[in-house]
Amino acid sequence: MKSGKQNGGACIELRDISKTFPGGHQALKKVSLTVRRGQTVLVIGPSGSGKSTLLRCICGLEEVDSGSIRLDGRELTGQPGLRDRMRPELGMVFQAFNLFPHLSVLENLTLAPIRVRGRKKAEAESLARELLLKVGLADKAGARPAQRSGGQQQRVALARALAMNPKVMLFDEPTSALDPEMIGEVLAVMRDLADEGSTMLVVTHEIGFAREAGDELIFMDEGEIVEQGRAPDFFERPRTERARLFLDKILY
Amino acid sequence: MNGSKKAAGLTAGLGWLITMFLLGLLLFKGALATGYGWDWARVPAFFFDWDRMRFGPLLKGLGVTCRLIAWSLLLTLFLGLATALARLLGGPVLAGLARLYLEIIRNTPLLVQLSVTYFIWGAVFDFSAFWAAVLALSLFEGAYLSEIFRSGFLAVDQGQWQAAWCLGLSTPDTFGKIILPQTAPMLWPPICSLVISLVKDSALASTIAVYELTKEARDLAAETFLSFELWLTIAGIYLSLNLLMSALGALLERRLGRL
Ligand SMILES: Nc1ncnc2c1ncn2[C@@H]1O[C@H](COP(=O)(O)OP(=O)(O)OP(=O)(O)O)[C@@H](O)[C@H]1O
Ligand SMILES: [Mg+2]
Repeated sequence: MKSGKQNGGACIELRDISKTFPGGHQALKKVSLTVRRGQTVLVIGPSGSGKSTLLRCICGLEEVDSGSIRLDGRELTGQPGLRDRMRPELGMVFQAFNLFPHLSVLENLTLAPIRVRGRKKAEAESLARELLLKVGLADKAGARPAQRSGGQQQRVALARALAMNPKVMLFDEPTSALDPEMIGEVLAVMRDLADEGSTMLVVTHEIGFAREAGDELIFMDEGEIVEQGRAPDFFERPRTERARLFLDKILY
Repeated sequence: MNGSKKAAGLTAGLGWLITMFLLGLLLFKGALATGYGWDWARVPAFFFDWDRMRFGPLLKGLGVTCRLIAWSLLLTLFLGLATALARLLGGPVLAGLARLYLEIIRNTPLLVQLSVTYFIWGAVFDFSAFWAAVLALSLFEGAYLSEIFRSGFLAVDQGQWQAAWCLGLSTPDTFGKIILPQTAPMLWPPICSLVISLVKDSALASTIAVYELTKEARDLAAETFLSFELWLTIAGIYLSLNLLMSALGALLERRLGRL
């Protein structure tokens, strides 16, 4: 449990965001949420509750129908130009890694810093090597991603997102596609990040991680935030019937 | 792996030779049956006139054919890429226009498109038969190429587009550095067969009086009555040209694969 970071200013502020898919399914119903600078917020909830949609709306892969999304106090909705410029400020880590298979591990990390941030090649490479060291893959810079294990690929993907030095990191079930023995190595890196004071919004099915790694826990169901608070409180004393049902299902 | 590939190539080559031999035999028999008098001795002069030391009509025609193919290929690539991008990324208007172009081209004969381009558009905008042929051929092959590109781009995993988007890569960078490199090996074989179609279709330019290989051969045949010799000769030239293209394609593919 981290402490003393709850005082940071708001990094992401969502107010009443709603999203209905073309099929007519309302995936988000007036969701409001604030993630403060340096905070790690964890999101749990049953399948189909809108967790991925929430992240995708924040990073711009989906348009919201209504509501407001602010990043560092700046409104992103209805501002295509600003929205576009802010894309690299929202570092996304996907369940399926989505590494670029035709590039080496190092090139995966340097492409966007060079092309988007205008970094010099040497500068981008030295930063990339630092990040690879941090995720424990310093010796894998020249390899192709496909030659690495799932856990290593996800750590590369994490480093790739970090290389853009985003204001906030978004994780969409980063360990769900991994073999059980590799989950720990990815969570360990995420824990380090959280401890260093990165701002993170993490969708996870890892209950152990949800219990102790975040500053705040959010429980979503059917497109709504049903409960929000400290993780221990949620797990010991869920306030709603829906949360109790969910916990019964996953804990026993 | 390599050995079996070589064996396959050898078998294909042998198949070609046998087919060509049988075809030749058939033609020879046919000519014999109609009492055709062969006269191959006059053919070399159609390539090069040694007396006056200048190119004969067939070499000149081949030159025009090559120029026609080169320009058409360039324009085809551009049109194919632009149309595919318009359909994928353009708004409804651009995508609709691209679709309209595609449907018109795919559902009318190339021969008609050539004539319309030359006799109508050529007259209105005042361009020569050569450029009309380049335009018509490019519009035709470009439509098919755009479908090749489009299916290739769509075949790349959605996650690649999403990762590129989230890293802030621009659309040109996403295409040039992420999508195209991943689809190129997949696109290459259909692009090679498109080039071969282009080489063959270029013969249709003879119908709008572009003095390329086929047109020269037809005129010569009308003049000299050496139809069998001339048709066989240019068939051989087109065949060689396309075998060359295939070989070039295979070479580049190996290069591409190693990237
Ligand atoms: N592109 C889409 N088109 C239509 N419906 C969609 C689309 N994406 C998601 N949905 C629907 O929206 C709802 C929320 O989906 P979402 O992926 O956000 O759930 P989730 O909480 O991430 O679930 P999971 O734990 O299975 O990943 C689901 O009912 C889903 O079927
Ligand atoms: Mg999800």
